[in-house]
Amino acid sequence: MLPGITKRAFLRLAGLSIAPRILPSWLRGESLDTNQRRVIIVTFGGGVRYSETFASEGLHNIPRLAGLRPDGFFFRNCVNAGVLSHFNSTASILTGNWQRVDDFGFQPPSGPTLFEYYRKGAKAGPMDAWIVATNKSFATMGASGDKLWGAPYGANVVLPKQLLIDAVKDVVRKSPSGGVADRENVHRQLETILAEGYEGVGWTIFKAGRQLDQHVRETLTRSLADYINGPEAPTSGDELTFFITREVMREFAPRLILVNFWDMDVAHWGSYSLYLQAVTRTDRLTGMLWDEIEQNPHYKDKTAVLILPELGRDGDINAANGFLNHRSGDPSCRNMWMLALGAGIKRGETDRSVHHVDVAATAASLLGVNTGEMSGTPASEIL
Amino acid sequence: MSKLSPTLEALIEKGLFDRLPVTFSTFFFDQIQDWQLLFPAEQTYYERLFTLLDRSDPLQVEALFAPVRAAEVKMGVTEAVWPKRKFTLDQVDFLNRSPHYADWRRAIADVFAHIDPILDAETARHGRARLVIVITPAELPAGPDRLWKRIEQHGKRIALDPPDDASDYLPLFLTGKPASAKAPAITDLFVSTKGQPAYGAWMVESGDQIAALSNHESVVRLSYSRLADYRARLMTDVQKLVDAEQIRGPRQLSARLKQLQIRANESELGRDPVLGEFARAVLLSGNGTLLINNTFVEWATVQGVRRARPVVSVIGYGIRNKIKPFSSVLIYTDQDAANPIPTQADMLGSYVDLEIFHQYIWQEFAKYAEYRGNTAFLFVADGTDGMLAIAPPDFPLLSATRPVKLEEVFGSMKDWLAL
Repeated sequence: MLPGITKRAFLRLAGLSIAPRILPSWLRGESLDTNQRRVIIVTFGGGVRYSETFASEGLHNIPRLAGLRPDGFFFRNCVNAGVLSHFNSTASILTGNWQRVDDFGFQPPSGPTLFEYYRKGAKAGPMDAWIVATNKSFATMGASGDKLWGAPYGANVVLPKQLLIDAVKDVVRKSPSGGVADRENVHRQLETILAEGYEGVGWTIFKAGRQLDQHVRETLTRSLADYINGPEAPTSGDELTFFITREVMREFAPRLILVNFWDMDVAHWGSYSLYLQAVTRTDRLTGMLWDEIEQNPHYKDKTAVLILPELGRDGDINAANGFLNHRSGDPSCRNMWMLALGAGIKRGETDRSVHHVDVAATAASLLGVNTGEMSGTPASEIL
Repeated sequence: MSKLSPTLEALIEKGLFDRLPVTFSTFFFDQIQDWQLLFPAEQTYYERLFTLLDRSDPLQVEALFAPVRAAEVKMGVTEAVWPKRKFTLDQVDFLNRSPHYADWRRAIADVFAHIDPILDAETARHGRARLVIVITPAELPAGPDRLWKRIEQHGKRIALDPPDDASDYLPLFLTGKPASAKAPAITDLFVSTKGQPAYGAWMVESGDQIAALSNHESVVRLSYSRLADYRARLMTDVQKLVDAEQIRGPRQLSARLKQLQIRANESELGRDPVLGEFARAVLLSGNGTLLINNTFVEWATVQGVRRARPVVSVIGYGIRNKIKPFSSVLIYTDQDAANPIPTQADMLGSYVDLEIFHQYIWQEFAKYAEYRGNTAFLFVADGTDGMLAIAPPDFPLLSATRPVKLEEVFGSMKDWLAL
């Protein structure tokens, strides 16, 4: 004990000096500088029902999210009141306005996206906003067609599954009797396609000179190696989406990312077990993404994560064909949840209904950027 | 238009379709275009529906459809976006993307909430006993106590006394005799009885064990494995269409898919235009029917019930294969040819899939007046000593107090159908 200091005073001083190292910022009551904050939006793309996720009977499918829920703010009612299709749902999340454009990616989102508001408002560079999406129709998701905004302020868009499909197709064509069983063979083909250019697989990557382009390519190539040599048989587009997202975070540390997982759309194939496996895989990959945030100095204590399903799926009772589709418009299709986690996010839960269009407004507030007119409003509970 | 029914032709001539809201009338106008490719149950339904609307008080019909018309005005339905006699995916897309879609859908649901009870009452007056048999494959390593858990509360579990020779299990159940007797299946007995409706007995299955017990030409036999040649051609053709013709999206693809008809040498279904078109639609309507055996069984059954309303249905599931690494991302590719990794059965996955399909199939039948209150559902697992029966109280097996022999089950089914 130091002379002249009581035990109580010592503990208080020791506690104060240790606190910044062991307590999260929300517990220390610090407000985070919005200029430092990063936002990652994770969508359970393809659609998932409450009953297979946060309903009591579904919790065993999402052990990571169920474990993270007490550490974040949980919106029990997050409603998709728009068109129950993939492109329009995600575009509504990103624009803050209900979208009614062509759902197969032949039209860009109507009105500026969050990426455009962020990049223009914060004068952020082209490597500071990314979409990594398993759904190939999301090629035009990165920016609106608005003349005042649009592509110059849009996000890089990477579609890992399209790369995978093209590579596997080439391997099967060149070596129909077995090339696809050889991971290295597939790996080589993935690299070959990347070397030929991104546009062929529908990607948009803003290039800023030869050096950066090479940097991007090396970054993406590293993620392919992680994917191919991972512990699991690489059957999933979402696994590749995760590895590419992680590599982009490590190399470019963008402040705004949309990660769109998509494997659970396998439900359209009519296999409930494959759908459940995809839900659990998405939970695991989302958990791994959270682990990366916690370990990556660019993101730790600076990042807010908003996790939500793009849409639900039809209910089991009186629907067209239950989990296979998402067209009935019943509550099982529309009523979902949102989990907010990370820097500056209070713990708690609410029954208050929020909507998909509130996500862009909330993310913009978190990033400290102004937006144009949005029908969504910021979720005050986490600001 | 292919030889429309005189009844509907007369109603169209009278201008009935023109008096109805265009979003309603064009949908049905489109549905009746290929009249000769519709099942009799569908043809009868359309005739009854429009005859009912025609004979009803015009003011009441106008009032019934007023909310639909109001929704159309809000949605901006005009001749330009909705031509009077045209219903394509563009119209579906228009509805889906409209901010007032929910209003329109509610208005349409209200229309049918008025019409359906009248049509259902007519149907119920002509009610008859019906039978649905759903068979779980012998390879599934789960006893009857682990099966049908989602629906068991609606029925009664009945103990069975299975034969010593497991290969006689399905023959005894479906024909009442061992396989060696080559006795006619319950479906064949049904269609052989005078006065039965066309397309009244169906077998839908993953393999061809059940179909092998039937040979009457009037029984509908849909077998995933027997359709292997057609499925393989469809996968190749669809891939070619997508690759070579640069088809941009589902709207363009849908038009081309309609041309991929089954050939007579690919399946017996190819000899009947109605069934040939049905098989094409089932395999190409999405939802994994080309790729997964049990999805085919479930979806073909749902569509068969919705469209043909069979009196006797025998449904047989199989075991689904595991998804192969890498090559599985190529949807329209023969996995056995593209990937040398041996095909493996997914037992647990199949179990999970079937449990929910049992519920969906049972619910689907219950949607239609033809089946309510007069249908015996027998869920049976090949080779096991138990089944689940969901049936009206007078179905004889519900009072069984001892394990029932399979030939007795067959006898009860025969009695139930009055064969």
